[in-house]
Amino acid sequence: MTAPLAGIRVIDLTMVWAGPLGTRLLGDYGAEVIKVEGPGQWDLLRGLGGIPRTEPRWYNRAAYFNHNNRNKYSAAIDLRQEAGRDLLLKLLAVSDVLVENYRANVMGNLGLSFEEVRAVNPRIVYVSMPGHGKTGPEAHYVTYGTNVEQLAGLVSISGYEGGEPLKTGFSYGDPTSGIAVPAAVALGLQQVKRTGEGVHIDMAQRENLTGFVGEYLVDYSMNGELRAPAGNTHPRFAPHGVYRCAGEDRWVTVACESDEQFAALCRVIQREELLEDPRFSTMAARKANERALHPAIEEWTSKRGHYEAMHILQRHGVPAGAVLTIPEVMSDPQLRSRGAWSEQVHPDAGTWEVETPPWNLTRTPGHARLPAPGFAEHNGYVFRDVLGLDEEAIARLYADGVTADEPNVQSHT
Amino acid sequence: MPLPLEGIRVLEVGTFVSAPYCGRLFAGYGADVIKVEPPGGDLARAHGPFQDGEPNPETSALFLYLNTNKRSVELDLGSQAGRDAFLRLAADADVIIENYRPGDARALGLDYERLRAVNPRLVLVSITAYGQEGPYAEYRSNNLVAFAMGGQMFLTGDPDKPPVKNGGYQADYQGGLNAFSAANLALLAAERDGEGQHVDISVQHCMAPILEAGVPFYAYNGLWLGQRRGNLMSSFMGVYPCLDGQVGVHVMARNWPPFAEATGHPEWLEDERYATAESRRAHDDVLMAEVIAWAAGMRKKEAYALGGEFRAPITFIHTMEDLLESPQLAARGFLRRIEHPVAGEASYPGPPWWMGPDAWRDGPAPLLGADTQAVLSEAGLSEAEIARVGAPA
Repeated sequence: MTAPLAGIRVIDLTMVWAGPLGTRLLGDYGAEVIKVEGPGQWDLLRGLGGIPRTEPRWYNRAAYFNHNNRNKYSAAIDLRQEAGRDLLLKLLAVSDVLVENYRANVMGNLGLSFEEVRAVNPRIVYVSMPGHGKTGPEAHYVTYGTNVEQLAGLVSISGYEGGEPLKTGFSYGDPTSGIAVPAAVALGLQQVKRTGEGVHIDMAQRENLTGFVGEYLVDYSMNGELRAPAGNTHPRFAPHGVYRCAGEDRWVTVACESDEQFAALCRVIQREELLEDPRFSTMAARKANERALHPAIEEWTSKRGHYEAMHILQRHGVPAGAVLTIPEVMSDPQLRSRGAWSEQVHPDAGTWEVETPPWNLTRTPGHARLPAPGFAEHNGYVFRDVLGLDEEAIARLYADGVTADEPNVQSHT
Repeated sequence: MPLPLEGIRVLEVGTFVSAPYCGRLFAGYGADVIKVEPPGGDLARAHGPFQDGEPNPETSALFLYLNTNKRSVELDLGSQAGRDAFLRLAADADVIIENYRPGDARALGLDYERLRAVNPRLVLVSITAYGQEGPYAEYRSNNLVAFAMGGQMFLTGDPDKPPVKNGGYQADYQGGLNAFSAANLALLAAERDGEGQHVDISVQHCMAPILEAGVPFYAYNGLWLGQRRGNLMSSFMGVYPCLDGQVGVHVMARNWPPFAEATGHPEWLEDERYATAESRRAHDDVLMAEVIAWAAGMRKKEAYALGGEFRAPITFIHTMEDLLESPQLAARGFLRRIEHPVAGEASYPGPPWWMGPDAWRDGPAPLLGADTQAVLSEAGLSEAEIARVGAPA
């Protein structure tokens, strides 16, 4: 019943979202994750919590940071100092995995390239996840989550019918990279076990996400045609769209994939005469005339709440889903029944709800064991217990500014 | 060097996108993936876009892409003979990936307890819209419905228009990649103690927590914007039309000076309205107008090159043509030319991450039922038994 990653120690140099989500998932499923931040190079999300900087330990109270960093320990090490680099290498020598998401040349500049880390730990799984990858003419370009989907080709095929390319409503390239991290690490650990040698995993976030539009790439290379944004429509199925419901900005999606589902829809909205209409008698005919179906469906949905419309349609076998808002996903009965959210107690931030580990590994479930760490909260554990440093050596680290108990608040203003 | 997943055997009983994408990743990294297709084949074979627009179950770009490096067995799980043959295959598999509604899966014999009885090491990965249990467990879903129920759709689109999904099958792909990570964790656990398990993936649960800062800001700070923001998130984050396409900008506070330099507006750095992140937010409309005006006069590749030169987060919206012509993807060898016996040669995305020169395979998708005979005889079925499994003779 031990967790899949029990006994695996991960050194986490990642910041912001993609990397921290990935390493948090490693922690959720049993790894010991030590997040290393510099006294002046702390995760900038600590500063984006909307907590006034006049309040004590505001940097431990940013909800977004705490959301991405539970199940981790925190140690402060200034990697730009020689002594800090040495300390990190000592830590890597007794670890299994390193994850970093710096721009391509940063780790090399710090003297922490794969070769340099492998010299102290020949069995290291070294995961790099920069936007463009570690090599190539654009490797040094700066890129964040919204850029990733632009580079992956996704934005070019997203948007309203007849409209301009449209971004996803959040930084889609970040979490789609983060969720790949446990698989990459698992494959790396197996490879090390098999070969006895460390491995460098280079995950270019733009390449990982290009995998999510692969059929468009194959299509273009076969047929030479660029596909325009198609809104909520489907190339084959109709009706397939979003319909206004009662209430302010409330909507339900309906997607019929068969004649039976369309017949059920017509019965539910009490428009069975549509079944006799030659414009709607086959899937191909419905696809050709789908706009003409829109008013009939919306007339019915607009008199109902989005949840109500979904439940009625589903009970008659019609694929339908409410367009849930953020407050609604947090109260949704299905997610509640699955235990998707649970209370977390944090010594500085208090008590609030966070998401639980997303995948139900029924025999070896994930756990939210630790709240997100305060800055440098586990310096003592890491320096004394993991590295075996004596008090004098630790005092020197503080005196030389290699570590600190509080972040330099002049950073990230 | 062996492939990372060499020696792992996977049965994929998956239709359309989510389970096949998970299977594609297993197969690319070296697992022996046996795709169990119903008579007539996976639904994706019936979907285009087809080569030259002509429907053909062997030339669907969707199918070709999602099923590279797999073997295809045509097997009717609706028949007892088909289910018996499947159990024989399951006895020798490490992983089964399926994406049916829970009730449908059980009817097809994909019942964890029954599978465990023939193979206790087996990892059964079920990808469903809502998970194996709960009030919506048997609700019907697809990519559009899942995108709505996972909270990502409400955020996507213009403020004065309905919510809109993003391109392709993004909810399904998220399900597939989450399942791949979860499955490989379960394989690690099985390797340790010889015990498999049922891995229950809810696409809704995978999607709902990853709405950027949305959930934590609401749960902790009680803040909810409640509005879509289209392409214009703010002056420093958005997609702006340019002369020959669109450019994308995502400027964090530390990127502001290089951004001003890259856009040819060093005077912005002297402008007190733009002196801090806070003051830039206060003058967002004015600054956005300036950024829009800058973008409107640029060519996309020129803007991107300036972003690279000045280390400013400026990109351009890459079309599929731009991907095929990308110097970065070419230098890294990301795109692979793959020859398929019916569809011919085409370009395909390579591995989601690189882990050495020989860690990923570049074989084509299988023809329907191409491996039925070989796989079932390897599993010890007689010719007579094979004839009954439901594949057309």
